[in-house]
Amino acid sequence: MPPLFKYEGGFEMETVYANKKKKKISKKSQKVKAKNRHMIRSLRLREELSGYLFIAPWIIGFLFLMLGPLLFSLYTSFTNYNITSEMEFIGLENYKRMFTADQLFWTSLWNTLYYVLFSVPVTTAGAILLAVLLNQRVPGMKWYRTLYYLPAVLSGVAVYLLWMQLLSPSTGLVNTALSWFGIKGPAWLFNPDWTKPALILMKLWSVGGGMLLYLASLQGVPKTMYEAADIDGAGSLQKFFYITIPMITPVIFFDVVTSLIGGFQIFQEAYVMTENGDGGPINSLLFYNLHMWNNAFEMFNMGYASSMAWVLFVIVMILTVLNLKLGKKWVYYDGGDEK
Amino acid sequence: MKKILLWLTLFMLVMGLLAGCSNSNGEGAEPRKTKDGKIIVDFWTFWGSETRRPIIEKIVDDYNASQDKVFIKHTFLPWGDIWTKNLAAIAAGNPPDVIINDINSVSHRAKNNQAENLSKYINNADFKNKFYPELWKTVEYEGDPYAVPFNTDTRLLFYNKKAFKEAGLDPNKPPETWEELEAYAKKLDKKDGGKYERIGFYPLWGSFGPESWMMNADNGEGYIDKDGDVAIATKEKVKALNWIKSWNDRIGNENINAYKADFGSEQSNPFIAGKVAMMIDVGTFYTQIRDYGKDMDFGVAPIPAVSKNEKNWSQGGGFVAEIPKGSKNPDEAWKFIEYLTDTEAQTYWATENFDNVANIKAAEKAQSLLEGKDKEVYGATVKNMEVTKLHPVPVNAPDYQSKINPTIDAVLLGERKAEEALKEAEKSVKQSIDQ
Repeated sequence: MPPLFKYEGGFEMETVYANKKKKKISKKSQKVKAKNRHMIRSLRLREELSGYLFIAPWIIGFLFLMLGPLLFSLYTSFTNYNITSEMEFIGLENYKRMFTADQLFWTSLWNTLYYVLFSVPVTTAGAILLAVLLNQRVPGMKWYRTLYYLPAVLSGVAVYLLWMQLLSPSTGLVNTALSWFGIKGPAWLFNPDWTKPALILMKLWSVGGGMLLYLASLQGVPKTMYEAADIDGAGSLQKFFYITIPMITPVIFFDVVTSLIGGFQIFQEAYVMTENGDGGPINSLLFYNLHMWNNAFEMFNMGYASSMAWVLFVIVMILTVLNLKLGKKWVYYDGGDEK
Repeated sequence: MKKILLWLTLFMLVMGLLAGCSNSNGEGAEPRKTKDGKIIVDFWTFWGSETRRPIIEKIVDDYNASQDKVFIKHTFLPWGDIWTKNLAAIAAGNPPDVIINDINSVSHRAKNNQAENLSKYINNADFKNKFYPELWKTVEYEGDPYAVPFNTDTRLLFYNKKAFKEAGLDPNKPPETWEELEAYAKKLDKKDGGKYERIGFYPLWGSFGPESWMMNADNGEGYIDKDGDVAIATKEKVKALNWIKSWNDRIGNENINAYKADFGSEQSNPFIAGKVAMMIDVGTFYTQIRDYGKDMDFGVAPIPAVSKNEKNWSQGGGFVAEIPKGSKNPDEAWKFIEYLTDTEAQTYWATENFDNVANIKAAEKAQSLLEGKDKEVYGATVKNMEVTKLHPVPVNAPDYQSKINPTIDAVLLGERKAEEALKEAEKSVKQSIDQ
């Protein structure tokens, strides 16, 4: 079938011209090539060098400040080191004790998993929801955005102390607010069944950081897609689930990976919000890192604490690799950048 | 130009790092000296507060004034850092010469070679007899002393006399037994509708925990008895735990939690604010009442005994002075410790701080120097030393508390039976000791 369009002259002309040019260049370059090859190589070398130079602060920091302690702690995990003792090599004894004799290890691992399992999805969903709400065109939106982002600016011990007051069983704001709806709030930090939900609730308060990322990526979703969907008669829920969500999956992915890693590192909250940092009622807030910290800096079992640190590292590593593998299945990269 | 700058920065960075690394080994074995040739003795404490710092520095200054060869350099380290820094310094071979450390873990540091054996300095019983025997017991490991007790504390029952009168109780007759304590507490409760306006007493408020009550009931025996055996699930201890639970049942966990969540210190301390009529706390709690209680009418009494024929066992703690392993000036350090724990310095510490001191003569002298209410309360704490027990952390089970406390929580929350829970805790502590 003859093509509908027939205008090949221009193309031909161009190709001929290009070929001529190429020939000219190649003639020239053949002469210079040998001469230039050396220069190009040195240019590339210089480029590589300045690349390394730019990341040098990190490399130096890593080599001098991190790699040493990292390897040291790996070795320590096979010893009974207690800061002042000789480092006696005891093989896998620490690991054996962890898995077979230390009941608190399992308690702390369970507490941490519970926390991660609930806090990651809840905060991710919360941040997306908030970002979508704050992406509407409503007067005064700047103020709302600032308002909702504000809690993310505050951090650390002050926030925990504030929340201890908010969660106070009788006079706390949370339970007072619940009582307006006729709900009798739990004793939160005093009731072992409610301590972890209390912390998750607290985390939800500061989703502003994640919200900001989602907001930025929401604004990057092309309008044309929504317009096309409108023409096809899609409802707003359909648009949300078939356009918005797939388009922001890279940010969701990033958020899930980082907050998963962050979730496993939970420590301060439990340390500050329990009496003497002892893990709360019936050890319900004894998180992995708190147990490790107690071993390292209360009992100075550095060897054991190091082995705990490496087990946590392996757990987080496995989960992250899993995440990266699974991510390929559901994360959509605009431009088909497949890796 | 830019590149040169970059290189220069990098170069400086690396040099800085190298310099930082080498600095720490700069000091040799030679003891450090002041400009006028005095040997510097490093003395670490965690006493940096407005009240305590001037007192310890006065003691140090007095000592320095009397010395022509030695200069004591006092360094304050925050409470949260001092032990870790001490261990790190010992490991680095550059520890302080004297440190104030926790009394209940001396044997751990002795066992782990972190403190100097002091037996070469203490060669007669006279020295040892200067201190309360219960305190001295904690500093010995395998027969040798590794520290000298400095200060201690003991717990007393503080009671609000005004509330007593209101409730029709004799303000000069504090409760002597658990039974009386309970009867008094019920009378002192004040309710408005369903809400407590005042709670007469709740055993776990203040500073007398479940382990202290169990010890009080069990003839002064802690979780590890005097023969070194694990004694957690004894009949008396089970009874004591059930007794505490009965308070939870009567007052209600909900009321207890709600009340407790609003506790603070100073003016908002529940005893000072009149929200709790009787509370057990350390002797120095008196200074808070004095400073924030606005002429509050209160009395102090020994801890009520489990029954008429038992003793008023109380719980104590405290701190010791010790020489970290590897100190460059152990002899000079010892001389200073001798001064620190002798009558003069100890009396000064006691009268200024209102703290209990380890030196018996100093404690009695301090009592005679004080007047009025000060004397009354201080006298009561000194007398209470007779029935005060210390419970050092067992050498082979440093984490025993973390095994017992959760089971106690479970009992008090009504999730487990006391006997079964304590038996399990006992088994688990025994296991870790046998390992």
